[in-house]
Amino acid sequence: MTDATAIRARFRERGFIVDEAFATALQIMLALEKPLLIEGPAGVGKTESAKVLAEVLETRIIRLQCYEGLDAMAALYEWNYPRQMLHARLSETEGLSLEDREAHMFSEPFLLKRPLLEAITQDRSPVLLIDEVDRADEAFEAFLLELLAEWQVTIPELGTIRARHKPRVIVTSNRTRELSDALRRRCLFLWLPYPSLEQEIDILRARVPGLSDRLAQQIAQLMQVLRGLSLQKAPGVAESLDWAMALMSLHRDHLDAQTLEQTLGCVLKVHEDRGVLDTHRAAVEPILEGASTALESGGYSLETDFGIGSVSRPRR
Amino acid sequence: MYPFGNLPDNLIAFCEILRRDHGFRIGVGELQDAARALEVVKLSDELAVRHALRSILSRTRDEAAVFDRAFMEFFFPGPPGEQQAGMPSTRRELEPEAAGREEHREPGRARPGEAEEAEEDAERPEAAGEALVPLATEPEAEAPALLARARYSPQAEAAGAAPELTRAEPAWRDAARALVRRLHLGLSRRWRPAARGRRFDLRRTLRASLQTGGEALEARWLRRSRRAPRFVLLVDGSRSMSTYAETALKVAVAIASVTMRVEVFTFSTSLRRVTDDVRRAAAGETRRLEYLQYAWGGGTSIGACLREFLQRFGGRSLSRDTIVIVASDGLDVGDPGLLREAMRELHGRSAGLVWLNPLLETPGYEPTAAGMSVARPYVTTFASINDQAGLVRFSRLVRLRT
Repeated sequence: MTDATAIRARFRERGFIVDEAFATALQIMLALEKPLLIEGPAGVGKTESAKVLAEVLETRIIRLQCYEGLDAMAALYEWNYPRQMLHARLSETEGLSLEDREAHMFSEPFLLKRPLLEAITQDRSPVLLIDEVDRADEAFEAFLLELLAEWQVTIPELGTIRARHKPRVIVTSNRTRELSDALRRRCLFLWLPYPSLEQEIDILRARVPGLSDRLAQQIAQLMQVLRGLSLQKAPGVAESLDWAMALMSLHRDHLDAQTLEQTLGCVLKVHEDRGVLDTHRAAVEPILEGASTALESGGYSLETDFGIGSVSRPRR
Repeated sequence: MYPFGNLPDNLIAFCEILRRDHGFRIGVGELQDAARALEVVKLSDELAVRHALRSILSRTRDEAAVFDRAFMEFFFPGPPGEQQAGMPSTRRELEPEAAGREEHREPGRARPGEAEEAEEDAERPEAAGEALVPLATEPEAEAPALLARARYSPQAEAAGAAPELTRAEPAWRDAARALVRRLHLGLSRRWRPAARGRRFDLRRTLRASLQTGGEALEARWLRRSRRAPRFVLLVDGSRSMSTYAETALKVAVAIASVTMRVEVFTFSTSLRRVTDDVRRAAAGETRRLEYLQYAWGGGTSIGACLREFLQRFGGRSLSRDTIVIVASDGLDVGDPGLLREAMRELHGRSAGLVWLNPLLETPGYEPTAAGMSVARPYVTTFASINDQAGLVRFSRLVRLRT
């Protein structure tokens, strides 16, 4: 797994299409043992890529989802207070010295590991996904810097824990806020754009087996047009996959104006964007054809995780 | 160590061009990483080399976009198709070309004996990198201003017209502080330790109990802190606003000196981010906005500029904690429909949309200009600020969208 071509092939086996720029960035990231910061519009597979990387490396993925108000307690470690308290009461009569009792109470069994601590105490380099780091506040970003530079965590009661195996870190950002220069400096940078027409057809074929060529072509073409319009929420790859799944489940093998109208909710998530699309109807018309053909439906089962808007690959 | 003898030298020269011409921030660490990366990728594969170097040397999307062109210019100069078939696989082809180009580009640049030096240093990229460090530390933000000055030297006598940013006076700072304090946005999601609070802090209570032999005598509490407001200032830099724009920028500097959560833009025919200048001014530097002078003249297309702001910076600088302050007289020559749409979106994506209009002070003024009347429904606060007292008044006036 040292070669960009090999990385591409391994990712493809798992239904995830990466272009050469992405594969090279991953190769460099693995070789230099530096975190990789992936920025890009929503729904282009930033998070998914970390999961696939973990699969490819046959290692664990540890995920830290950032959110407003995320603090060190939730990200790093916490003492298990109820257990400590219980232990203190139960061991009252044992006649141990205060120092011994304290040393015991602040030892590893009483430590609750949160994702970051978990990631540096593994026996094998895990993939650490720090997801949507732009959602956490600046203070948390500063806190991350220490970890990303030194790979160690200091717990006052226990001492310093140093990483035995450096995790492979993928940091993602949706650019809802500008990240600090300091964080950028510690990471490799990759801008993940929307896929090109050919790439998107490729992705659709790889992820949605049984999808007709014509439909894949139409979906990809329409996506190119939609992303060219100035929509409030441009659809990502996740949306095209959802849409392809939806059309499959409706047993359509091509897109026409009526089908588009019925399933537009898979693609456009803001009401105003519908208006934008209507004003650019002319760009869409050539892609849609009126002629409807019967379809051959396969016994396809949906495996759509609507909670996060992505589609899991079918198990073999 | 390096299969291609003089490659580090080329790499260093390339990094220097990125730094000098494109404002990249490349230090010794990046150079080392780049050198290591070249050991990892196939050097015969031009694309791989480009992708690898891009991921290391560029830090933002804009830099990544510039990178490819700079790479091609440096390593493959000349029109496409000509003598380019040679990928950097053979150093004979690459080196003289690149090195020759370097000299050709900058005949007068003082790099005494660096070619020989670099030759010796080829095995030690970090040593060669150190020699370049001073370049990296020169204030790159000054470059655009210098560039603008050079470009407009014939009009040097008019330079006095460019607004000057200076450190905010204490009275202005106090007024800005009052403004930040008065804006109530509700509570943050984050729990902070406090003397009194709504949630019991078991951890700190137990921790404190260690001092009293394990008996918790004193309860510790957590409470939610207040959400801190963010500011976006959009200052009209057209000629009709020439005097008022300076006051608006003063407000910007005052706010920037009490909070980091501020972004400042100027617009007339196009939009420009001046946050860095404003921050530096707040830190005590005196900065002259040369390029703003350039932007003067011609009509103001407010709608188009706000639309540009929404597209380029909207996602990053607007949130439900953001107060958007537009300082303009509303004399718009653009499409009113465009302005209406932009104002509607600004209003919807912020905590409050403030319009500072200098004409409001004029007795008998009614905001009836075409631009003003379409913008009006979306403005949560109309005001005019002329001095620090005005800023204090404004902080009492400002209304937030609820």
